[in-house]
Amino acid sequence: MSEAIDMQEQHELDTSWMEKMGEWGAKATPGKRGLTLDDIKVGSYGDLPKNSDNMTGRPRGATARPDAYRVGAYSVHTLSEIWLENAEFLYEEALQRQWSSATDVPWHTLKPLPDAVEEAECLLCTFFNEVEFVAGDVPARWIAKTTPDYLEARNVLSAQVMDEARHMDVFRKRALANGGGLMRMSGATSGFVGSIDLARDFTEMSTRLHISGEGAVLTMFRMGELFGQNDAEKTMYRLCAQDEARHVAFGVMHLRFMGATAPERCEEIECYLDEAEDQLLAGQQNPAGTQSETSEALAILLGGGVEQYDEGHRKLLVIRRRQLKEYMKRVISAGFSTRFENGRSPIPAAYASTN
Amino acid sequence: MAVFPSEQWFREVREVYNSDTSLHSGGGGACDSKAGLGIGDKYYKIEFAGLECANVGVCSESDLSEADFIIEMPMDAWVTMIKDVQGNGKASSNQTLNSLDLDHEDGIARSPIDDQYRQDLFYRYNQNFQDFFNASSRVTTTF
Amino acid sequence: MSENEPSKDSETAKPIQGVPNPTYEWMGLTNEWGIRVKPGEHGLRLGDVNVGIYGEVPERWEDQTRRPRGALPRPGIPPLPYSLRSKHEMWADCAANLYEEAIQRRWIPATEVPWDLLAELPEDVERSVCQICTELSQCANTELEIITYWQDQMSYGYFEVKQYLATATFDCARHLEVLRKRALSNGGGLGLESRGRVNRMILESSGGWTEAVVYLYLLRGTYLTRLLAGLLEYAHNDAESYIYSHMLEDHARHLTYGYDHLKYAATHHKGGAAIMRTLLAIGEGMFAAEIEDPIVKSAMAIIFGGGIEGGRTFGMERYLLLIREFLQDYLELCSWLGVDREETLHPKLKQYLEI
Repeated sequence: MSEAIDMQEQHELDTSWMEKMGEWGAKATPGKRGLTLDDIKVGSYGDLPKNSDNMTGRPRGATARPDAYRVGAYSVHTLSEIWLENAEFLYEEALQRQWSSATDVPWHTLKPLPDAVEEAECLLCTFFNEVEFVAGDVPARWIAKTTPDYLEARNVLSAQVMDEARHMDVFRKRALANGGGLMRMSGATSGFVGSIDLARDFTEMSTRLHISGEGAVLTMFRMGELFGQNDAEKTMYRLCAQDEARHVAFGVMHLRFMGATAPERCEEIECYLDEAEDQLLAGQQNPAGTQSETSEALAILLGGGVEQYDEGHRKLLVIRRRQLKEYMKRVISAGFSTRFENGRSPIPAAYASTN
Repeated sequence: MAVFPSEQWFREVREVYNSDTSLHSGGGGACDSKAGLGIGDKYYKIEFAGLECANVGVCSESDLSEADFIIEMPMDAWVTMIKDVQGNGKASSNQTLNSLDLDHEDGIARSPIDDQYRQDLFYRYNQNFQDFFNASSRVTTTF
Repeated sequence: MSENEPSKDSETAKPIQGVPNPTYEWMGLTNEWGIRVKPGEHGLRLGDVNVGIYGEVPERWEDQTRRPRGALPRPGIPPLPYSLRSKHEMWADCAANLYEEAIQRRWIPATEVPWDLLAELPEDVERSVCQICTELSQCANTELEIITYWQDQMSYGYFEVKQYLATATFDCARHLEVLRKRALSNGGGLGLESRGRVNRMILESSGGWTEAVVYLYLLRGTYLTRLLAGLLEYAHNDAESYIYSHMLEDHARHLTYGYDHLKYAATHHKGGAAIMRTLLAIGEGMFAAEIEDPIVKSAMAIIFGGGIEGGRTFGMERYLLLIREFLQDYLELCSWLGVDREETLHPKLKQYLEI
């Protein structure tokens, strides 16, 4: 006998949920920039909980159900741990400024280069390919740990994961498109104590990744216009630099927010900055550091060949100087200027010594 | 024919930039920025909103106190750059805003309130500003 | 270190103090040199550079560092906790192509959705649309969280998959964004959260990524395809059409990866198909319980029926048809995978086929 469902009984329309929905009447309207995440922060939907008790993964402002399953063991659930004032803005900007390594880089402009120059470029590409692995993996891990109540900040991190995948991709392509190949890995991104991916706190991670690491890499990408040997390379580095600047902006603005809203954590943050600066000066993850093979490769590229190594190294020192200066100014912008005034930070001395 | 630098020149470039999306290269896109240009002893404000250059006009240095950043070079550096764009259809690699910024020890972009976050907008929106100046290749220019 | 002579080209150059003598010991350290891949008609795509040893994708990747595939290893680098190191645990042949496709087919909700074409809807319909947006939001959130959880654990031997999943992460962020925007831009608001049975099942897939994909894409994802297609068919205006059609396109890419991966896992991992069968036997029961929840069912019926009245009859019939179509798709896919479920389909799902 058929067990066909008695449709009327088992599938009766239930409209009782309509009375239990969230705040009603929200009518966000598009502005000059279209309908942005900022525009939809209307009524209570714009309220950000200082502490999130969202254990079910519901969208912020949705009505809780008493029978909903708890799925979220979100370790990041306080606003100060992850927020930044312009999260909506950075996310929308990221969406607008995506590019394709396949079609936006003029690969046809690649021409054979002298062996040493090609090797130097391939070493650098191998390094950047490796470094971007960290920058993609680690924000992804933190997305999974962050409450969806801070959707805007999470979305910026999601955009970063996309950006870093594109960077990994473009550097691999460059290494394999002009008669070269990948070189030896650097190992600079592996799991040493104090490294980015071992951080157990989001702000600790962001300090190392966004402010220190990506700040240094940003300068390198910008320098690509000087050491790039053709339009393809210059374009590649320039486009990566724009993305990187956005990631750095996340770090600065988050640190600024953290410092302002959780001042009890400022000394802790200073300790993270101490470690990040040690690494910056030691040259780990910084190809412009004085002791890395990538710095030799950079000097070759900046000079235009092995014979012009000294000239290239002179330019490298200028890069290093700029990295240090901009790092200091970003940390100052984030609200942690005291460390450069009271002698805590070794960066001012290092900066002075590059003169 | 417009004289560089002048409000008329910038308005003509703006019109070219806004009317032809093929001038907006990959990696550009919408941006919102209020910047300043210091050209010798003259100052101009330039504003991007979304995909357009919304406004550009002459101003005083003090008018730029709220600008995200100011791109400032001596007159002859600007003239060299614009002539390069005029001659090549777009900036040569050593005459892009980015290259010029890197070539100068202190850079050519500064935040009027010395805020690196605001100054970094020059890096974030670099492509838009470059596309804008590249658009000047279509404006008949005298100096 | 030695003082180097000033560059002969520079009249004003000073001797560079402490320029380290380069060692160039990194030169020549490569697995394969001379790779020159040229762009094709679609540019230079990720799959194009899989040539020579760089295209060799091993069945097992033992390296627990961030060594780019094809790069030379460096001794002494500490391992990282990449738990997924077998090809069958994540691979899909289409991953590289899907990565490039995702980039080419990116869209921007803020400015590309014609938000000004949203028009006032009858309240019961608006409430239903908003409720479905809330539900889909939570599905997207679950997808985002499970992808980013596993992404971090996937080794770099299969970077194509990691790069593709980065695009899926970005897609999920976009879906979260656009669904929230739709719910808050037409006089409505968010609805009730999902009870979350299936979300929990997906998030609790701690055995491996393949196991998560079974639930995320084969079971729930196949259902969501029909749901999104139904929403598109009954879209009330061009704004909704744009949203649903683009979500469907993104979702189709996710399913292409998912199905392709499961096929690889089933055919390359001994016992893989049997594991899938077990998971589905459990999952089908959970899924059946979830779709019995009256909220989504009623909201969709109201959308299909054009209101509460129509929802009771035509709308509900249409929704039940949607379930039947989903089950037909699902059974066909299972058969294709070699994980036949026709005879053993959970009785609570089977009854929908008999309506």
